[in-house]
Amino acid sequence: MSAGGAGEEATSSYSPQTMMGIGIIGGLVGIYLGALLSPTHPVLSFLGGIGAICAIVWGADAVRRVASYGLGTGVPSIGMIALGMGIVASLFGLSIGGSFAGPIVAFISAATIGAIIGLLANKVIGMGIPIMEQAMVEIAGAGSLVIIGLCTVITGTFEYSAVIENVVAPGYIAMIFIFGGMGILHPFNANLGPDEKQDRTLSVAIEKGALALVVAGIASAINEGLEAAFVTALIGVIIWYLAFKKYFEFVKRDAHKVVGTGMLPTEEELQ
Amino acid sequence: MIVDAIIANIEWLALIVIGGVLISWSVHFVPVGGAPAAMAQATGIGTGTVQLAAGAGLTGLISAGYMMNVIDNLPLILASGAIGAMIMISVTMIVGTLVYVYGVGCVPASAKVKFDPLTGDRQDLYVSQGTEGHGLPTVCFVSGVIGGGLGGIGGSLIYYALMKVGIAATSAMTSDVVGLVAIFAVGIFFVNAVIPSYNIGGTIEGFHDPKWKKWPKAVVSSFVATIFCALVAVVAISQLGGL
Repeated sequence: MSAGGAGEEATSSYSPQTMMGIGIIGGLVGIYLGALLSPTHPVLSFLGGIGAICAIVWGADAVRRVASYGLGTGVPSIGMIALGMGIVASLFGLSIGGSFAGPIVAFISAATIGAIIGLLANKVIGMGIPIMEQAMVEIAGAGSLVIIGLCTVITGTFEYSAVIENVVAPGYIAMIFIFGGMGILHPFNANLGPDEKQDRTLSVAIEKGALALVVAGIASAINEGLEAAFVTALIGVIIWYLAFKKYFEFVKRDAHKVVGTGMLPTEEELQ
Repeated sequence: MIVDAIIANIEWLALIVIGGVLISWSVHFVPVGGAPAAMAQATGIGTGTVQLAAGAGLTGLISAGYMMNVIDNLPLILASGAIGAMIMISVTMIVGTLVYVYGVGCVPASAKVKFDPLTGDRQDLYVSQGTEGHGLPTVCFVSGVIGGGLGGIGGSLIYYALMKVGIAATSAMTSDVVGLVAIFAVGIFFVNAVIPSYNIGGTIEGFHDPKWKKWPKAVVSSFVATIFCALVAVVAISQLGGL
């Protein structure tokens, strides 16, 4: 049984190139701005989270395109492999990239590992999904940018020693792993079906990214103080509210009819 | 610097690759039913490969990590990891069987074989029409325990090898090393749990399932993928020494 997906190419109103642009440029700009500006004021580290949201939207779009072919297994698997590849590549990139090139090295190494796994999936395992290689590159790249973006929110920098001390050693990295994975896998998993629409799926991606920003904001309290944590979490809540409102509008647009079920009947009414 | 780190840790690199291959192989033993099994329409546990492998494998990692805290003896650490994962997958399967038998009300039956290869019990008579079996017959349970054990050994091998790299780099077992090694082990574990799940296409009953014979494809893929993951992991962990 193929879980999810109609076995054909997904129709999109935003092209894969547009989404790739949003993910790579938005993600890297957000991460660098967050890291460069946060010494002036710790609050500004939330920009890394905006970069992470861009990367999550990109990753969710790539998952949407590849999972539309039907993976044979559930959509969650691809989100988990994305973050599995992403976490290995991003920590490697930060460790050898130094204080400036880290995110770029991480992104390139994630894309390389993604390309290898995509090739293996098609050539050795024989999945036969035409866009598997490209999608794996995109998903791994998005995964690494999400991880570095959220690390930047928590530490205010992406330097290896700071990330190890403030994100990896306290265990926040596990939370980033699951939240980033959720952001990438959940939107398509929640919206899949014959009437799946790109804008509706991606509005869930923004909403999930905003939730990750809220949690990363709270985690940043230990390093950047309560004020920065509060502002970051508040920005996350605002983005979450806007995205969820938009999502609900899309749901009402795509639904045949939205009706209220009313309150549960009281005991007297049942008699 | 990078080449030095790789050459100095070549034996641990080999252990990591073996661990990754073991995890990939182990997934083929676990009776994964996926969404159909959640509705009691296929034999196996009603969730995806990744969730099952992760549940059992990560329990194995925790028990191996606990053992490594006390003693530096590879066989004991591997045994601890294997037992932890086997207990976890057994508990999952026992609870699943209870739900299928007393909750859903169906008998455990396999649709892939006519007789259970271990007990010799007739299977096909008990498979409900329109389903591909349901519940967890004895052979699936035994296969799942074997899978859990192999996955636990694989996970603890990766953890042990990465830990050795970390201790060699920093000459101490600090929380930095433990955190970094644990998350790398988890990352490599997930990569090697997803690759075989694409190979088996979502559902498998265990070693008696015809799909089980496809394992070499997943093992070769995991072998190649783990080499790259292991290289970057070893380099990143070696950099801890320079901090």
